[in-house]
Amino acid sequence: MLLLFGSAFSQNRVITGKVTDDQGNGLPNVTISVKGTSIGTTSKPDGTYSLTAPTYAKTLVFSSVGMSVAEVSIGDKDAIDISLKPSNKEMEEVVVVGYGTQKRREVTGNVSTIAAGKIRDVPVQSFDQALSGRAPGVNISMPNGVLGNPPVVRVRGINSISLSSFPLVVIDGIPSFSGDVGGTASNNVLSSLNPADIESIEILKDAAASAIYGSRAAAGVLLITTKKGKQGAARVNYDAWAGYTEAYGIIDVLNAEEYTMIKNEGLVNAGTPPNGTTRGFYTMTDANGNLVDTDWYDEVYRTGFGQNHNISVSGANEKTNYFLSANFTDQQGMLKNNDFERKTGRFTLDHKVNSVFSLGGSFNYSNTFNNGLNTGSTGGAFATSGVGRLPLVLAPNVGPFKNDGTYNINTASNSIGQGNNLSALSFTNPVILNDLNKFSSESDQIRANINGQIKLPVGITFRTQYGIDYVNFENKEFRTGQHGDGVQFGGAAQNIFGRFQRWVWQNTLQYDKSFNSKHNLGILVGTEQQYTTISSWGADRRTSADPFYDEYQGSYTGIVPAGNSLSENYLLSYFGRVTYDFKKKYYFSINARRDGYSAFAEKYGNFGGASAGWIVSEEDFFKNANFSNVLSTLKIRGSYGEVGNFQGIGDYAFYSFFGPGLYGADPSLAFSQAGNTALTWETSKKTDVGLTFGLWNDRITGEVAWYKNNIDGLILNDPQAPSRGVPGNAILTNIGSMENEGIEVSLSANIITGKDFNWSSSINYTTQSNEVTSLATGNTDILVATGGLETPSIIRVGESIGSFYVIPTEGVNPANGRRIAVLNDGTRVQYAHPNSWTKVSDGTASRGPSQATDAVVMGPALPKWYGGWDNNLRYKGFDVNILIYYSGGNYVYNGTKAGLRDNRNWNNSTEVLTRWTKAGDVTNIPRYVFGDNVSNGSGLVISENVEKGDFVKVRNISIGYTLPGTLVSRIGLSNIRFYVAALNPFTFTNYTGFDPEISSNGNSTGSPSVDRNSVPLARTINFGLNVGF
Amino acid sequence: MKKIMKNKLIILMAVTCILGGCKKSLLEPVPQTQLIPDNAFATPERVEQQVRGIYGGVKSGQFLGGRYFIYNDIRGEEFLNNTSNGVTGLQTWNFTLNENTNEVTNFWNAAYNAINRANVVLLGLETSPLDVALLNKYRGEARFLRALSHYSLLTLFGRPAWDVPNDKYGVVLRLNAETNSDPAANVVPRSKVSEVYAQILADLNFAEANLALNNGGGPANATRAHRNAAIALKTRVYLSLRQYANVITEANKIVPATAPFQAATGVAHRLEANIATVFPPLVSPAVQGTYTGTESIFTMPFTSLDLPGTQNGQGSYYNPSPNGLGDYYLNPAGITANAGWKTTDARRAFNVVTSGKTYLRKWPNNGGSIPDYAPVIRYSEVLLNLAEALVRQNNTVDARAVDLLNAVRQRSDATTTFTVAGFADAQALIDQILIERRIEFLGEGLRSIDVMRLGGTFVAKDIAPAVAPTGTQYVWPIPLRERQTNTGIEQNPGY
Repeated sequence: MLLLFGSAFSQNRVITGKVTDDQGNGLPNVTISVKGTSIGTTSKPDGTYSLTAPTYAKTLVFSSVGMSVAEVSIGDKDAIDISLKPSNKEMEEVVVVGYGTQKRREVTGNVSTIAAGKIRDVPVQSFDQALSGRAPGVNISMPNGVLGNPPVVRVRGINSISLSSFPLVVIDGIPSFSGDVGGTASNNVLSSLNPADIESIEILKDAAASAIYGSRAAAGVLLITTKKGKQGAARVNYDAWAGYTEAYGIIDVLNAEEYTMIKNEGLVNAGTPPNGTTRGFYTMTDANGNLVDTDWYDEVYRTGFGQNHNISVSGANEKTNYFLSANFTDQQGMLKNNDFERKTGRFTLDHKVNSVFSLGGSFNYSNTFNNGLNTGSTGGAFATSGVGRLPLVLAPNVGPFKNDGTYNINTASNSIGQGNNLSALSFTNPVILNDLNKFSSESDQIRANINGQIKLPVGITFRTQYGIDYVNFENKEFRTGQHGDGVQFGGAAQNIFGRFQRWVWQNTLQYDKSFNSKHNLGILVGTEQQYTTISSWGADRRTSADPFYDEYQGSYTGIVPAGNSLSENYLLSYFGRVTYDFKKKYYFSINARRDGYSAFAEKYGNFGGASAGWIVSEEDFFKNANFSNVLSTLKIRGSYGEVGNFQGIGDYAFYSFFGPGLYGADPSLAFSQAGNTALTWETSKKTDVGLTFGLWNDRITGEVAWYKNNIDGLILNDPQAPSRGVPGNAILTNIGSMENEGIEVSLSANIITGKDFNWSSSINYTTQSNEVTSLATGNTDILVATGGLETPSIIRVGESIGSFYVIPTEGVNPANGRRIAVLNDGTRVQYAHPNSWTKVSDGTASRGPSQATDAVVMGPALPKWYGGWDNNLRYKGFDVNILIYYSGGNYVYNGTKAGLRDNRNWNNSTEVLTRWTKAGDVTNIPRYVFGDNVSNGSGLVISENVEKGDFVKVRNISIGYTLPGTLVSRIGLSNIRFYVAALNPFTFTNYTGFDPEISSNGNSTGSPSVDRNSVPLARTINFGLNVGF
Repeated sequence: MKKIMKNKLIILMAVTCILGGCKKSLLEPVPQTQLIPDNAFATPERVEQQVRGIYGGVKSGQFLGGRYFIYNDIRGEEFLNNTSNGVTGLQTWNFTLNENTNEVTNFWNAAYNAINRANVVLLGLETSPLDVALLNKYRGEARFLRALSHYSLLTLFGRPAWDVPNDKYGVVLRLNAETNSDPAANVVPRSKVSEVYAQILADLNFAEANLALNNGGGPANATRAHRNAAIALKTRVYLSLRQYANVITEANKIVPATAPFQAATGVAHRLEANIATVFPPLVSPAVQGTYTGTESIFTMPFTSLDLPGTQNGQGSYYNPSPNGLGDYYLNPAGITANAGWKTTDARRAFNVVTSGKTYLRKWPNNGGSIPDYAPVIRYSEVLLNLAEALVRQNNTVDARAVDLLNAVRQRSDATTTFTVAGFADAQALIDQILIERRIEFLGEGLRSIDVMRLGGTFVAKDIAPAVAPTGTQYVWPIPLRERQTNTGIEQNPGY
């Protein structure tokens, strides 16, 4: 009896076979499993396998990354060979959507995917910098070459005016902090995530896909999935690169003799010629008698070296998968004193306890150290000590040191030493500032989560996940009392310590059911709570007792509080998704979310989106038609929904406040902020219609989509009647509206697929058009300042946000060398310094132009079109990858050019040597008159400095060689690849500034594409290797 | 089938919510570093600080912390402009204002900001748990300041009270706390001049009845409102209304029938023996004066941490470098040319010649280091208000009026004595009283008020034109920002 039982239950059989690809080559690491069980194995390197399966097993499933899954009935066969076909990328790919995954064919929203391999080896500090040009609808640009600076990320245009337009970043299901937590030294909080740990990035763009994130989804959602162990033997990977980086696109400025000559010419033309006693510019010689001719770029820029090491070990069996990785990076930037170091460690483990219960978790620690400097690059465009500006403006006929070896500084005026110049010089000496000042931002971040899953009966799965994201940062600054910004304080050291702490707890129930094998239904319901506290405090210690002290903890006589803030916010949500498909041809999906957020008085809002899709190519009529040989796949989909935005709003936004003051010597309290209990989310209604197609058996695949976002309830300062006496005479109100519309096209092709040579290419192209449709009461224009001073950008109803508002100029009058401007009535007027505006026609006096009266709008500042073109070539063991990033159709405000033509004591670009000197000269540089800061566009914002911002860049090139497998396995490794890569190697543009990608205002919504005294971008060349064990 | 599905769905949702353990209270966080309306009036100390906050609003450098006095004086003929700087009142001085000019916009904003602070405090007091007497005292202070603010606005933006046909050109009366978004509250028309005065007097009458008689001695008797301050302000207001009988009634509460003139009840105001006690001279090292002595009825205090702000204080405008910017100097053709104002008069000591120009150095210190307080009302003004009212009311050379005039004159110039016989008629006495006002209150912000209440013309000075009562620039334009957001408001004619 027992024996019979035993044999009945232990009856197994062995099935063997070989798995090959469509060329007949053996495929290693293919997972062969018994369908419906966890019994399985993986194929050997030559493609053969041997599986012990129970006799009741019916079907074998063969799956492998990049290949279509195949299922074969076992029947009574003992040997099953199979040939796997490359997977239909567009349809079988697994796509991560909010709180779950779907197959690409089922996705009816608009989701773009970027695979890990694309970003693993790019020499950036943070993964978001490597995403340019990789997905349609997503424009990511680098604002400058400073390490640690967050990139400018725009998903389908700019989606807010007062709040943030940066997408929601979700890492492994936990919404993460983003943005810059540093002070003067930039510290992009996302740089704590090791790019090599990322498996894939999905970007949810339309309402149907992103509505599951409800009130935070208006600017799109970036879903980051980190790597997990893969079935099969344990893999160990070591990736490393080392390289160097330099600035490129440097603008030539005058040398000492040219500078001296032209400044003196300016003095003569101003009627105040050099007189050898109080006025004039003169060269000097150094201690060896050589002419002092300083290239200030050399004093500020350098060739920076960097290295990055990444090691990981991972593996999985049927029950458990694990992944352990560590990363060390030490990068020097193109600027002296700009460094980035990061150490991360990550461990994840998932374990299937039994068929019902599984458990998992991950722990990620990172420490990033950003050493920075006052670059004046993002937000500090007019900082007089901004290192971005100094090489452009400092006089070349003096040097960083005096002939006696001490620093060349003028203590009476706190600027660079005069040398032999008699006319006053301005600006500070960057060498002493770089030597003595210190700016750093260091952060420790822990991201951890623990999750569990229970398979309940009737096809319901319960999943719970609890995660934390804790960031501690310390921003330190020291400004020396000898020179620069620290002089007014006698030396000042500032420390600010802050903590951002967040916990998130999600619970979901997922129900999947098929009926009659025709109807497939999936239902997800869940709740999520997210609680964040923000606390920072610090102080500025002033008047140091001795120049020796350069740390906060030294000896100072004064102290002033700085950087204090304390707040919290809480988000409570209920969400759900229903997906239904009929015969895998017709798909419907609804996502909805109800969010309650603590910063609003009206706590709750409802968001949702619906979408539908039709896979036309599954229809019988299609399959039987003759064009289906050519058009192999066709899917049409559309979606509509409403999502919200509150990112960037204060945690107590709706409250009214009373703030402190003084009456004589006594403390007082007074009403200081009028709150708005009606304040609520900005809303975005998104429409998206698209079609996906495949040609020639999906050798070419593509997608075309049209999108339109109607953004409403933009939070703006609504002006109040001053007689109401409301503080600030404005109340934050949901009152503005804006539209974004465009088309996304992407095309991928396996152009050549041969045994030895492959070439695949994919191109994406996006158009965008933005229009502001209403502002606060009265629709008054909003002028947006750069660096707090100049206002070249305007937000006006009927125009694209942040377009330029400039006085039109028409070059230089050849008769007299004066800059010509055009007044609002068409009169052309010309400027003679100082202060004289006359009509061009007859020389009679005229009023001068002013921005308020005569400016015209030049727009858009946002690119009308952008995209990328990615090419992968493989020849035997060699691989080449080229990514081209292009953008254009917009204007860029080249404020730096204005500074480079300024006729005060600032240095100029070499183009001023082509200035007007005599009647008949045709040039666009006016007659050089010392002190003139109007003709160049410093005193007035002029159209002369608005240029087209079109460019094509080769963003990445990499050339690699993978050693042949036979050679490698002899030394016990599984693969080695060597490569050399370049970041930003080539740029093609007509823009005359450093680089048209520059944004002095970073992610600011109202003032894009402004280049004012920024630093250029960097080109990096690195050599690396990837080793697999 | 469907029903089972639906039930399962409901169970699903219920289960997830329970499991979610939703924490409702975290949805209502309370800020920990700012006070919100719910707790801003909860303790006596906070209420006291709120009341001080109203004073702080009135003391804004754009308002009674400095510029109000300056605007009133540079409209008159005593000062000539030195610097042609649009930031320091050039367009007020030469009567070329428009609705965009900084003075117009900033003054209006500051005045109404102060009024709203008073209204917010009045609202907060309604639910405050303090005892009734204290609450009423605070209400008195709030209403006193609200009245002072509305009055100040009227004296620049509104037509004078005697111009009855143009009564509709008053200012906007704000009596409610404006704390949140309310589109209807934006659109409020101008009240009539008479209505505004009625409200001012109502507020001052309430203040008189409820303010403390004495703020405990010390500086608070001058820097915080007290009963006698309300009475003194009423004398000024009634004088603007030309209601001389009322001036007399009010003044008699704090001025006795005969010299020596000292208030019998409340704070015992009287003239200081020496004007230098009220306005200390320039010495080195600089000293602060006893700005809050018995002569001071209401004064705005400053400290080195609480200044009027750059280019806002009288010291900045009237002192030549290095203590100020010297934007205005004394018109040699103004009151300084008056023969009757003897050179031995102590008040002449304030007029200091520097580089050929005479500057008024009543606020001699630099506002940046030792700031001088700004007096709003002094006892000598009450005496002269009373004197003028007596003469106008009785239309005779009133003996008590002459006594009052003598008290003020002889405090600074003991050698001059006015006699009843010395005045040919009532008008001669009035003229002398008006001259005394110009001498006594030079730079203290009363000149424009006096010119306008008498229907006078602002005489031409240097390159600035004369402006008659019918002239557009006689009153200030309503600021553009108000007209853009308050569509119910009517601009003064001519702008």
